[in-house]
Amino acid sequence: MEQILANGLYLGAQYALIALGLTLIFSLMNVLNFAHGQMYVFGGFVTYTVVAQLGLPFIVGLIASAVVLAVMGALIEKFLFRPVIRKSKRDESTMLLAAGIAFFLDAVILLLFGEKQRGVPKIVNGVLNWDMRIIMPYDRILIAVLAVALIVGFILFMQYSRTGRAMRALAQDRMAAQLMGVDVDRYSMIGFALGAMLAGLVGGLLVTITGINLGMGGPTSVKAFLMIMIGGAGVISGAIAGGFILGMMESVGLTVLAAYGDITYLVIFASLMVFLAIRPQGLMGKPWG
Amino acid sequence: MTPILQIKGVTKRYGGLTANNDITFDVAPQEILSVIGPNGAGKSTLFKQIAGFVTPTTGEVIYKGTKISGLPPHKVARMGVVRTFQETTIFKSMTVRENVIVSHHLRSKASLLGFFFGSAQAKADEAEFGKSADDIIDFLGLQAIRNETASNLPQGHLRALGMAIGLATHPDVILLDEPFAGMNHDETMRMVALVRRLRDERGLTVLLVEHDMPAVMKISDRIVCINFGEKIAEGSPAEIQANPRVIEAYLGSEDAAIGM
Amino acid sequence: MSTTRLAGVLAFLLGVFVLVPLFINLTGRWDFYYTLTSVALLSVAAAGVWLTFYIGRINIGQGAYALTGGYVSAILITQYGVSFWLTLPLAGLFCAAVSVLIGLPILRLRGVYFAMVTLVLTEVARLTALALPVTNGAKGITSIPLPGELSLFGLTIIPDFSTLGNPKLAFYLMATVLMVLTYLVLWRIVNSRLGHLCRSLQQNEELSASIGVNTAMLRVLAYAISSFFGGLAGAIFVAISQSIYPSSFVVQDSVNFMLYCFLGGLGYVFGPMLGTLLLYFGWDLLSIAKEYQLLIYSGALIALMLVLPNGVLSLLDKKGGRK
Repeated sequence: MEQILANGLYLGAQYALIALGLTLIFSLMNVLNFAHGQMYVFGGFVTYTVVAQLGLPFIVGLIASAVVLAVMGALIEKFLFRPVIRKSKRDESTMLLAAGIAFFLDAVILLLFGEKQRGVPKIVNGVLNWDMRIIMPYDRILIAVLAVALIVGFILFMQYSRTGRAMRALAQDRMAAQLMGVDVDRYSMIGFALGAMLAGLVGGLLVTITGINLGMGGPTSVKAFLMIMIGGAGVISGAIAGGFILGMMESVGLTVLAAYGDITYLVIFASLMVFLAIRPQGLMGKPWG
Repeated sequence: MTPILQIKGVTKRYGGLTANNDITFDVAPQEILSVIGPNGAGKSTLFKQIAGFVTPTTGEVIYKGTKISGLPPHKVARMGVVRTFQETTIFKSMTVRENVIVSHHLRSKASLLGFFFGSAQAKADEAEFGKSADDIIDFLGLQAIRNETASNLPQGHLRALGMAIGLATHPDVILLDEPFAGMNHDETMRMVALVRRLRDERGLTVLLVEHDMPAVMKISDRIVCINFGEKIAEGSPAEIQANPRVIEAYLGSEDAAIGM
Repeated sequence: MSTTRLAGVLAFLLGVFVLVPLFINLTGRWDFYYTLTSVALLSVAAAGVWLTFYIGRINIGQGAYALTGGYVSAILITQYGVSFWLTLPLAGLFCAAVSVLIGLPILRLRGVYFAMVTLVLTEVARLTALALPVTNGAKGITSIPLPGELSLFGLTIIPDFSTLGNPKLAFYLMATVLMVLTYLVLWRIVNSRLGHLCRSLQQNEELSASIGVNTAMLRVLAYAISSFFGGLAGAIFVAISQSIYPSSFVVQDSVNFMLYCFLGGLGYVFGPMLGTLLLYFGWDLLSIAKEYQLLIYSGALIALMLVLPNGVLSLLDKKGGRK
């Protein structure tokens, strides 16, 4: 039991971090970022390149992932989303753009890093063994702690910094924020950069444990969508809750349902459908966010 | 005269909040009745309950002897009670005429399948809708903008189009949500005349929610005043103007003054 | 129907049923048949997605119904010996029925929420196919016989495909006939009252309800028609490839259907057909670029989005044309 909980928390911390970036972008620009999973994979490859190929310390790789993805996010917002949002008749057009960007990033990843599975050497060795009740490698614990620290940092940033407050105002009511003198273009760009950066950071964290490959982008996006649907799209607390809930469900499901074959995700999806039928806006979302 | 619409002890609670508390009044056929009250008094909630968008917690709405509260909006509309909306009350990327034609849905005798295959009944329906739509457009004086796309129209025309959409359903009772909001004096007077004609020429019963007191006093046969979700007065415009509770309610709120 | 429009339709039919086979015969590019058959079938499924867009819902779940339709046809043929031609409508109807059950709760969702749920739906379909015994798990159903003879009162209408010297052409004709029929139905829906009501739903659901439209029923109806098309397309795909696996239609396919609609233009009935042709054919032609295929393809997609955010067919608007 303790083992399941520990696994769930470990998964949940990373999932929450992925969902945070996605929900931030959604709340600021009403864009469903299909390319989120690809950004995560890209971040993983950047860390891999810095650590495994250039031989620099892990923390440098992590910072490199964050910087590269933040710049990429800012550029994507400024040169792609902004003009399309301005010109199109329907908001949904941004979905096509996001899907196009997802393909594009896949292509870039393929050309730059190839299709092989990549990983970096363990950053810490050893395994925590608490009385055979919880067995968990130290590197996983470290990664989970880092993820939680990032989540806390992000919340503090959104809560107390000037930029964070401006972004929250923007997410609540674009028009009102504009009237209050918030530079909408600037903060949309910062928000997108921040969202992409979070995706890149998770990629950098996880490359040390599960490794990374080209095919992981799409499924990661789907999982991220699941999390923000559970928690409620566009709500920070919802993304965190959604991440931990999905992590827990996966952890419990893989153990409890193992006897029935690979149906964990089927059960998760089915219960999500039922849940959404009862509560369409998710746990913490506003109706029709 | 038997009332066409009866509001009987309608109460609506949202959690601990009571939006409407035990509101009761009758509406006579071909009457123009205004519901007034300070902001947040619960007027819109009351309208939503009459039109079927919200189900009362207790109490009921009776239309021509049949209970309509609790029915979905499209069923309420089918029975003859139709609500127009406060703001964007239109299908914005259709032309004015398309807006009015599509709103004739309730008049169609042919089935959707009949429309798909172009049955004789469907063709007859379409012809009738077209004629009736032109009729309504003429009635409201919208001939000049017949083929304009709705999203390009100025505010005043939008309001009239919203009314045209309501009329297209051929209701007996029409609920107008703040028909004079944001209008200047001349526009308001034109709208007042129009609402009168709805009753005089089309035989409609009109219920309206409104803030513009001079207009309300001018147009209404009777007025119901609610405050904090409760009915505090009911009567002719003169009676309402003289009612101390109404004056108190309005003096107590900062943003509306009763017009004399 | 105006003469120009009639001429356009005739030119289209002439192109599809005469010129293309002629061209392929002359050049010997038989592989084009396969590509064009795929385009025709994908555009049938995309037509369904487009219809859900028309009621204001972003549908990224058509892959689920294509997969379901494929399995229904495959199972009926291989295990119950039902004629392929009968399984076609059955596959469509089964999908429509399933979509009513699923649609009732989820169609209450709007915007991005609906989009995400439908996306998840594709994944659910794949996992269900993996888990159920009747679908034979990951091994899928293989060696499905080609479509047999279709006869009515002893009169052969369509011969047994396995006796044909050129089943590629037969599949091409079948797919294109179906495509023409689908778009005829879609065009008729859009231009009849049903379509007007769908548009009213797309633009203002609350107002639509207050003018007496049963919005819940209409939404489910449109979604069911949409899923019918998806099931139909899936069933024929299975007949062509003679096999089906849980991964025959995945999330990627669902996203593609949506892209076809977007690219062609959401305001135009023939948008999804054009979008499918451009994207699928474009992708095929780009295979000469080898490892740069995806890069060029997605780059072009993004560029198109920047230049024509309302779809390729919005070009017509500038000249004052209508759908």
